[in-house]
Amino acid sequence: MKILTVSIVLRVVHAALIELRTLDSRVAKEFERFPEGLSYSIRTGFEGPTLHVLWQDGELKRVENLPAPVCSLRIKSMPLSFQLFTGQMGMAQAYARHAFTMAGEVADVMRLARLVNLVEAYLFPKIMTRRIMTDVPETEVCFLRAYARIAWGFLTCKYKLSK
Amino acid sequence: MVPYFEFQNAVKLLCGELSLERISIELEHLGASCPLVLSDAVLSKIGTLEQVTEAMQSEGITAGATFTDIPVDSSLAVVNRIAAYFREQGCDSIVAVGGGSVIDTAKGVRLVLSQDTDDILAISGVENLTRGKHIPFVVVPTTAGTGSECTGVAVIRNDANGVKMEFLSPFVEPDVAVIDPRMTMGLPPKATASTGMDALVHAIEACTCQQANPLSTAYGTAAIRMIAENVEKATRNGGDKKARFAMALASTMAGIAFSNSMVGAVHAIGHALGGVCHVPHAVAMTILLPHVMRYNLSHCAESYAALLPWLVGMDAALKTPAEQRAEATIAFIETLGKRLNTICGLPLTLSDAGVQKDAFAKVAEFAVNDGALIVNPRAASEDQVVEILNAAY
Repeated sequence: MKILTVSIVLRVVHAALIELRTLDSRVAKEFERFPEGLSYSIRTGFEGPTLHVLWQDGELKRVENLPAPVCSLRIKSMPLSFQLFTGQMGMAQAYARHAFTMAGEVADVMRLARLVNLVEAYLFPKIMTRRIMTDVPETEVCFLRAYARIAWGFLTCKYKLSK
Repeated sequence: MVPYFEFQNAVKLLCGELSLERISIELEHLGASCPLVLSDAVLSKIGTLEQVTEAMQSEGITAGATFTDIPVDSSLAVVNRIAAYFREQGCDSIVAVGGGSVIDTAKGVRLVLSQDTDDILAISGVENLTRGKHIPFVVVPTTAGTGSECTGVAVIRNDANGVKMEFLSPFVEPDVAVIDPRMTMGLPPKATASTGMDALVHAIEACTCQQANPLSTAYGTAAIRMIAENVEKATRNGGDKKARFAMALASTMAGIAFSNSMVGAVHAIGHALGGVCHVPHAVAMTILLPHVMRYNLSHCAESYAALLPWLVGMDAALKTPAEQRAEATIAFIETLGKRLNTICGLPLTLSDAGVQKDAFAKVAEFAVNDGALIVNPRAASEDQVVEILNAAY
């Protein structure tokens, strides 16, 4: 169940990043600064679900595999991955609790952490986000708009829950 | 209390008089006989380096090679060059004699060698490395501030973009650190004060950041007490052996504290100021500390209040009403800075340090990408970093 949940949330996070780019100026600004070819590989636990994304031609593309990601994160266990991707632990808390290892530059993790914080501010209720962030970012549009765009993206097969 | 924490300090500490003379036997025990000695040109010129190499030689180990061309703000290129030199010279171990730049450079060299690579950039990351080949590694700090002799992090400048990069791994820690008071006796007053304040920042941020834990706080608070009692004494009278030794120990303890709980916004912004404006690290720390504390106050009044007894003593702290203790902690830091400024001219503002306001936007952009910011008790955007910089100007 945890593995399935993490797998779904990883794909929702990717979809949310793309949709929030058009809804939230801070997300858009972060992407404007992404260097061409920046890529993230997120692995969860031992052989758990993965997410590989690549910034190319102004788009954040989900790809099957990344042989040499610019920034590679490995969450140390599946329970930690579950906590991180279900709003029970924020990125800063994950860092503070040594929940992941990272190969690459710390600056790229910081970019990702800011984006994940913004995604969580939209996807999770404040009662949850207040527990996992020292300062919850204000949403620039109603969270329902974000949900609607993400759901529509999955319904129209713009995003896929499967590989 | 934090729900989970990790704590490591695997460094053997040789503390006190005649410590230098024990380096050779430690190297021998580590299976080394041909060390590459790393230092900088100033320490070579004033004889500090010679003091160490003579002490080693007197006990049977001679440097296999010596490299002293390490700049104040060392870089990835310097690390790679020294690693190649180590291999050329057939050395088997490293002895680093110097301040933060020399020690962090040496840590980088050791990483390159132990991971069997040619480029440190290829192995950058957080807790991502396996142990690798063991290269015996001894450090002799010559300032009482960085605590780098006991930390699992190396901060090294990337000349390609001016960013100070952090390399975090438990395998960065040296095998042995030598805390010999002779090494800091000749430190000028301004350097004594600024490096002492650097140690204070390490201790305060270690005790108040999101990663603070009971063990790191034990080291951090003990360091705060020793610094509060001794930094002025050591600055006023460089020959005060007791104060010098206390400061050296406090710096080491603060290093152990922050190595196990990270730091915060003072360091994130300070690294950026170093990268963009070349402000010396310890000077940036001194200037930024009270301003960042004011910025953080709304989020960690309780933890700042808890530091007051360590700064002023329990009796004085108890005379301060509980709700005023956090503010009193910051006021003490400000007053300490002013007193040190009077004694030795320690810069207290960014304008004193020669920073131009037009650099603030770039500094803020770098600061929010610094790993130290993620565990700061209060989040900070680029605009908020600029506010802090303006307050410190």
